[in-house]
Amino acid sequence: MSSGIYGGDEVGAVVFDYGHYSFRAGYAGEDAPKADIPSAIGLVDQLIEGKDELEKKYLIDVGALNYPRKGVELQSFLKDGLIDDWELFEKILDYSYDKHIRSESQLHPVLISEASWNTRPKREKLTELMFEKYNVPAFFLIKNAVLSAFANGRATAVIVDSGATQTSAVPVHDGYVLQQAIVKSPLAGDFITMQCKQYLEDHEKVELVPNYLVASKEPVKEREPPKYTRKTVPEVSKSWANLQVRTLLQDFQASVLQVSDAPYDKEVAEGMPAVHYEFPTGYNNDYGAKRFEIPEGLFDPSSIRQQLPGTPLGVAQVVTTSVGMCDVDMRPSFYGNITVVGGCTLLQGYADRLQRDLSHKTPPSMRLKFIAPNTPAERRFAPWIGGSILASLGTFQQMWISRQEYDEGGKQVVERKCP
Amino acid sequence: MASGVSVSTESKQVYDDVKKNKLHRYVIYCIKDEREIGVEIKGDRNASYQDFLTQMKELKDQCRYCLFDFPAEAPQEGTNEPSKIALDRLVLMTWCPEGARVKQKMLYASSYDALKKSLVGVYKYVQACDFEELSQEAIEEALKKK
Repeated sequence: MSSGIYGGDEVGAVVFDYGHYSFRAGYAGEDAPKADIPSAIGLVDQLIEGKDELEKKYLIDVGALNYPRKGVELQSFLKDGLIDDWELFEKILDYSYDKHIRSESQLHPVLISEASWNTRPKREKLTELMFEKYNVPAFFLIKNAVLSAFANGRATAVIVDSGATQTSAVPVHDGYVLQQAIVKSPLAGDFITMQCKQYLEDHEKVELVPNYLVASKEPVKEREPPKYTRKTVPEVSKSWANLQVRTLLQDFQASVLQVSDAPYDKEVAEGMPAVHYEFPTGYNNDYGAKRFEIPEGLFDPSSIRQQLPGTPLGVAQVVTTSVGMCDVDMRPSFYGNITVVGGCTLLQGYADRLQRDLSHKTPPSMRLKFIAPNTPAERRFAPWIGGSILASLGTFQQMWISRQEYDEGGKQVVERKCP
Repeated sequence: MASGVSVSTESKQVYDDVKKNKLHRYVIYCIKDEREIGVEIKGDRNASYQDFLTQMKELKDQCRYCLFDFPAEAPQEGTNEPSKIALDRLVLMTWCPEGARVKQKMLYASSYDALKKSLVGVYKYVQACDFEELSQEAIEEALKKK
C-alpha cells in the first residue's frame, strides 16, 4: 500500500476513550488501556516559587487526586458526555502522553472514541486541536456505540450503555448510528451512589467517613457505633470531600448491591442472603433487602421516593423508546442484538433483569437476544478495545484523516471521513 | 465506517458463479491476513443446508461470512400458497459466534460493509452468532419477511 506512512504496525497508534467516570488511554493493538484515569481533575492555586504570584496547578490521576490538601476544587472536562472544558481536556491529554503513553504526540496517529450524540462544532474543534496543538500525523474520530457493536461482532445492534452519569440506548445499523433514535436517561451509576448515600445517612445514620480521615480503628460488633480515631488533615474543599465519600460509596455499591431479578418485592428480597459490609471506620452491618431495593430505581423509576427533575426513564423503557423510533422493519434486528456495556451494568443481575423487563414490554413474537461481554474489563472498556483493534489493522491506514487531508480540507474533513 | 479491508476479485467471481452460473450451492468467505476478504470453501451445488451447517460446525469459534443460495418457493400472486415455481434466494450471513476472539469479531463486523457493497443482488442479510440464528428455520423465517 502506497500510503504506508500512517498507522500500520511500525508506529503504534494511540487510542483515547472518555467517560464521566474515567478517561482511558493506551496503544492500539493492546488488550486493555494502559491508563484508566479518573475524569475528575483537581484544581488548586499554588504559589510560584520565588514570586508572589499564584498559579493554577492541576491534579490528575489517583495519586495526586486522593492526597488531602487545602483548597482543591474538583472539576470535570465533560458535560452530558461531551467535551466542555477544553483546557482541562488538554491537561488530561498532556498528562496521558507524559505519564502513560510516554511518547510524543507527533509520532502517533490518534483514534478517539466519542459519545454518539457529539455535535459537529465539537467534533471539528477536537480535530483542529489534535492536528494543530498535538501535531498528530493522522487522526480518526468514531462513535463509541459503533465500536461497542463491532467489538461484540455486530454491525447492527442496539447498544445499551450505562455509565456514571447516564444510561443510553443507541441503535447502530450496518455500522452507522441512527442519530434520531438515541434515548438517554440520568438513571445510572452516580444516581445509585446518591441513593446509597441517602439511605445510609438518613435511615441508617451511618457516618460516612472515607479512608483518608481514619487513623486507626478497633473492631466493633455489628451495628455498634464505630471506635476509631480521626486523622488530622488540612481543611479540604467540599467538592474534594464529596469525591472521597463517593469513592467510598462506589465500593459499597460494588460489594453489596444486586439487582432483583423480578420487580422488587420486600418479602422475596428479605429471603435472600444478606451481605456483610464493613466501612473504613470499622462500623459494620448486614445488608439484606436493601441490597435489592436501592438499584430498583434504575429499572422502575416509580419506586424512587425522592423527587427527580423531569420523569426519567427506566432502562427497559430507554431501550423500547429508542427502538420504537426506528423503522418497523429494523426493529427485530435491534431486539435480536441488545448489547449491554458500561460500568453500571456490572451490578450483579443487571442484564438478566433488563431481559425480563424487556420481554414484558415487547410483543411475544419478538425474539430478544442479549449480548453482554463476560469480563468486567470488556464491559467497561468495550469502545476502547474496539478502537484498539481497529486502529491496529494494517488496512485501517487508508481510513485515517491524514495530515495532508487536514491541511488541504481543514477541520471540516472530519464530517466526511468520520461520519 | 469500515476497517479498510478489501474484497478480492475472486470473491466477486465466485459470487457470480453462484448467482448466474449456479455452480456452487454455498460459499464460505474469510478474511485473509487481516487484509482481504477471500473465498475459503465452495460448496457443491447438490449440497443441502444441513451439509453447510456441518461444515460451519467444524469451524468452531471462527468468524466467517457465508453465502447460501437458498431454494425457496415463491408465493403465488394474491395468495399465501406456495406456487410451483422454485426460486433461489441468495442469503448473505455474517457468522460471529460468541466464543470467537474479540479481535476477530471486530475485524469481521467492521469489514462486513465492504462485502455487502461488493455482492450486488443478495436477497436477504442475516447476522448470526449462534446455531439457532443460523438454523434452517431461522433462515426460512427471514426469507418469508418482506
